[in-house]
Parts: sequence; C-alpha cells; structure tokens
Amino acid sequence: MIPPIIKDALVYANLLLMLSIGFTLTYLTAKIPNFAHGTLAGIGVYIAFTVARILKLNAYLALPIAFLIVGIVELALYITVIGTLKRMGATFISLTIATIALEIIISASINIYADYISRATGVFSRAFLMRKEDFNLFGLPGALIVSSILVATLITTLHLMLTRTKFGIAMRATVENPALAEMMGINTEKVTAISWFLTGGLAGLAGALLPLWFQGYPEIGNQLIVSVFASSVLGGLSSIYGAMIGGYIVGLTEVLGTKMLASLIGAWITAYRLLIPLTVLSIVLLIAPRGISGIIEDIMLSKALYKQKIMSGSKGG
Amino acid sequence: MTYMINIDWIISVLAFISIYLIAVIALNLQYGYTGIPNFGLALSIAGGAFVAGALTGRIAMWYYGVDSNLDFISDNSIITSIINQRLAHDPLGGITIFLLIIAISMLINAFLGFIAAYPAIRLREDYLIMVLIAMAEGIRIIGINYRPLVGGTLWVHVPDLFAWLGDLRRTIYVIIMFISSMLIFVLVQLLVTSPFGRLIRAIRENEILADSLGKNIVKVKMIVMVLGSALASIAGVLFALYTEVVMATSYNRIDWTFWPWLMLMIGGMGNNVGAFVGTIAVILARRLIIFYKHEIEHFIPFSVVWLEHILLGITLILFMAFRPQGLMPEKPTKVRGLADYSKIYTKVKEKLMQNNE
Repeated sequence: MIPPIIKDALVYANLLLMLSIGFTLTYLTAKIPNFAHGTLAGIGVYIAFTVARILKLNAYLALPIAFLIVGIVELALYITVIGTLKRMGATFISLTIATIALEIIISASINIYADYISRATGVFSRAFLMRKEDFNLFGLPGALIVSSILVATLITTLHLMLTRTKFGIAMRATVENPALAEMMGINTEKVTAISWFLTGGLAGLAGALLPLWFQGYPEIGNQLIVSVFASSVLGGLSSIYGAMIGGYIVGLTEVLGTKMLASLIGAWITAYRLLIPLTVLSIVLLIAPRGISGIIEDIMLSKALYKQKIMSGSKGG
Repeated sequence: MTYMINIDWIISVLAFISIYLIAVIALNLQYGYTGIPNFGLALSIAGGAFVAGALTGRIAMWYYGVDSNLDFISDNSIITSIINQRLAHDPLGGITIFLLIIAISMLINAFLGFIAAYPAIRLREDYLIMVLIAMAEGIRIIGINYRPLVGGTLWVHVPDLFAWLGDLRRTIYVIIMFISSMLIFVLVQLLVTSPFGRLIRAIRENEILADSLGKNIVKVKMIVMVLGSALASIAGVLFALYTEVVMATSYNRIDWTFWPWLMLMIGGMGNNVGAFVGTIAVILARRLIIFYKHEIEHFIPFSVVWLEHILLGITLILFMAFRPQGLMPEKPTKVRGLADYSKIYTKVKEKLMQNNE
C-alpha cells in the first residue's frame, strides 16, 4: 500500500509538528528560545520505554502519562528556574543560557536513568525500537494513525482554544503585549505557566510516540532540536499556525529529501540527514527571516493597503 | 613515586588549561567584548582538530615520501609509525609542519566561521544562536560520517611532530602550548585595548548608536567572528597534537561549547583576566573529579560523566541567577590611543585660532 518511506515521512512530520508548536509557543509566551525542548521529548521516549519494556504494558498507555509527567517537568522548570530568573531581572542571554543548562541537566538525567534501568532490570536501554509491538490497521501502522489523529485533534483544539475560549484570548493578549494584558486583569504569569505546561505535554507526547516508529536512544532529543529550530524558524517563530506548516514541511523534506538524494547520489548520503534542516534553516534566514507567517503577514498587509488605495481612489473620483 | 604522579597530573592540568584558555579567550572576544553569542564554539575547535587530523599525516606523508600505495585512513597506524620514526630525527620538519598546520587551520576555520555566521549575523541574537548550534552539530555529523576526513566513527592518529624531543617531548610540548595560549591572551588583550576594542564594546552596548555613528556593524561583527573562529581553531589543533589522535565523536557541544561558556560565565565576560581565572577554576574542579573518580563512584550509582554534566548545568544556572557578571566583572578599560585626545584637542584649537585670524 503506502511505501514505507511515506510512512516514515508522515510520522516524522507529525512528531516535528508537535515539537515545533511547543517550541514556538514557549518562544511566544516567555520570549526566549527554549533549548531544552528537544530533550524534553527524550523524557517522553524513556517513559514509553518504561511502560512498554519494563512494565510490559501497552505502549499507548505511555501517551497520557508522558503528557502529564513531561508537562509537569516543564512547568516545574518554568516556575523554579526561568520564572525565578526573570523575576531576578535576568537578561535575554542569561535566560537562554539557563535553558541550555537545563538541556544539559535533563540529558544527563535521562542517561543516568537509562543506565540505571538496564542495570536494575537487565533490559538493554541505550537503543530500542518498538515498531514490532505496534498494532496494524488496514496495513497502516498504529504510530501513523495515532500520531495523525493526535495532530488533527491538536490543531482543532488549539485553534478553538485560541479563538473561542477566554483562556486562548488571554494567551494571545499575553503574547501580543504582556503589559497591556496585565492592565486588563490577565494574570500573564499564570497564562505563561499554563502554556509551558502544554508545550511540555506536547513534547512528551511526541517523545512517547517516537520509539513506536523510530529508534529511541538517550541523545535523541538533543539531535531533534536542530529540526525543531528549522521548522519553527520556517514557520516564523511568531505564530502557532506557522509552526504547524513549518513542522510539516521540514519533516517531509528531511525524510523524503534524504531518500531522493540517496537514489540520486548514493545511499551514503542518508548519514548526512541532519544537514537538510540545517540547510533549510540557513536558506530561510537568508531569504525570508520572518518565515512563512511573516510572508503571509506581508501579503495580507499589501492586500489591505491595495484595498485602501482603491477605496480612497474611488472616493476621490 | 607519588611525586612523579603529581608532576604528571600538573602537566596534564596545564595542557587542559592552555587548550581551554585559547577557546575561552576567543569566546570572550566574540561574546564578552562584542556580544556575539557564539554557541557554536565547538565548530571552530572541531574544525581545528579535523584539519590537524586530516592534514598533518598527509602533509608528512608527502614531505617524507612515504609509499603512496598506503591508504591514509585504513593504513593509518603504519603510516603514522613510519612518519614518527622520521620525525624523531628531524626537528626542522616537525616545526615546519606544526606551523603550517596552524596556519592552514586558521585559514580554513576563519572561512568556516564566516559561513556559519553569515545566515544570521544580521538578525536577532536568538536566530544566530540557533544557526551556530546547528552548524556545530553539522560539522560533527560530517566528521563522523565522512571517513576520509578523520576516519569516521573510528579515529586517525596524528603524527608526533615533537618526537625529536625524545623523553622530554610531553613536558616541552605542554610548555609550548602554554606559551601559545599566553601569546593569544596578550594578542586579544592588545586588540581589546585598541580603538577597535572600543568599537566592539560600543557595538555590544548599543548597536543602533554605533550604527548611527557610521560604523558598519555587520562587517565589524563578521571580522570578530572570523578572527575568533581562527583563534579558537588553534585550541583544536593543539589538542589533537597533544592527544596524538582525532576522534570525530568526541567534538560534542557539551565539551567544546558549554564548558568554555561556563568558564567565561564564572570568570566574568569582557575581562580576559577573569576568563583566565574561570578557566583555571573549572579545569581544576573537573580534573579533581576525574582524579577522584573511583572514590566518587562509590557514592553515586552512575557514571561520573553525568555528575559532571549536572554540576555544569547547575553552576551555570546559579551564576546566571546570582552573579551574571561573573567573579571578576568587567572593568573600565584604558584604551590605548585615548591619551592622545589632549593633543588632538590642542591641535584642533590651534587650527581654529589660525582660521579665525
């Protein structure tokens, strides 16, 4: 039916979409790039490992658990480190360095956990793939179905939340103008904290889904982060919808582009897959640093200006 | 016996201090003085090490006319041992190749620094950070996968260019490394106390103001980025020649980007003496942890590497929270050339007087 490479690309794009939505959301609310975001997905990967291999339960049980645990971890990081540093008047660079420090700490903790669990239970934990344990429906792998459904739900929920609920509007206000939002009685700290919980949860979900189709290992999160940068920057780092498009484009380009290059040049090129998001990142920054949402904004603006011009022209005539 | 071990330990500490000092001084020039957050420092250091790994052996092969049927990567040990035998009696050849490698590495890494910074140097600093992290990750991927470079997932030996020193080789080489790092220290110190130093600090403090005074910000930032990358690559070359082996997998961002950043943050940005103090403090702490590795591992149920990483992260956060300016904050620098202002002033006054007359 569907060639395996398409499945690879779709699953990967779904995961990247969840991660880049999270990265963009934390960027919008806290105004700093959260370099620990990829590593948070690494926690999700090991939650899935623990549920499926150690507790021998269904791997999909890991999804809600990962959402909760990683969300709480992210919230705790925000409250204890980032929020506190902000209150202490830390500069942008200080906060960025703090997120990098968090990445190092989380990554080391994942490694410690992986070593500990394999010593305690005798199950090899430094590289694992659970594709065989996944279910199949009409020839489609479970990882693809579940991740696609999750992404569709996520997009609708986020869209409805941002446009129809009070919290969503408060969130948009916080993103647009925190000072003004506070004046209108919005608790921006609370809004930011909740959005960090959500982004952590999304990273956890993406991480928990990942080993069902791709190989999981302790450093996976640190390597994903380059693709997350690329998709978020392509999206424009200014809107969640941009992040969705960016995540999908980079995810598909990374997998399908590698495959295409491999058939054109030779199989050795697949090892250099990471260079594709790196190239995307560089090209976007060179050509359109405001990304897709920036381009769309420009088009809308020029349309509006054009309309105004016609209107004023007709008035004059 | 214990005395001998201690001398050995001191030499290895001195070697690491020299290597990291070069990296931290280059970073201080980029971030501390100019405000370019170079989170891709590992790019330049890996670049230097890869140049040393890929070219030292090949140049020596050509120089000594080693059998060209041997493949540089697969027959690496044989080639290296042949070259080392020749180098043991050839001080001039060794020194020439050493200087040549440093020059080539500086050129190549100046270019790499240019390419890495080019997409985002005009943009906000967060974009620059993302691109530089990604670029450093990119060179590591190339090093690991492109086997002819430095042996891919394996390693290549680097010929011992100081083999002619015999038993004293290690001690004297470490002294050469230390002198090199001191030279770079003095060079950067001279640069930042020059009018150019004043310019880069002005850019760090207020880009728009510097721009309005007619300074080309992007060009100056690029010069600093290129210069810093070239200097940092010397650390990579010296490290490769010190360990006599280059392994692509070991040039990760934690060892070669984040540890130097911690050293700079502890010491204090914009202060080369502070950077020196920070380097010594962190290196001593790390070496002590490794020295007492077995004793520590009795108490913790995991590898000491992760303990180091967690300590690195926590120290960074604590410094960001309580002492972001570091242990030795930046002092007002006396810029050379400023003293001439009085002369300029009197000259202008004289001119004006003449014109008035």
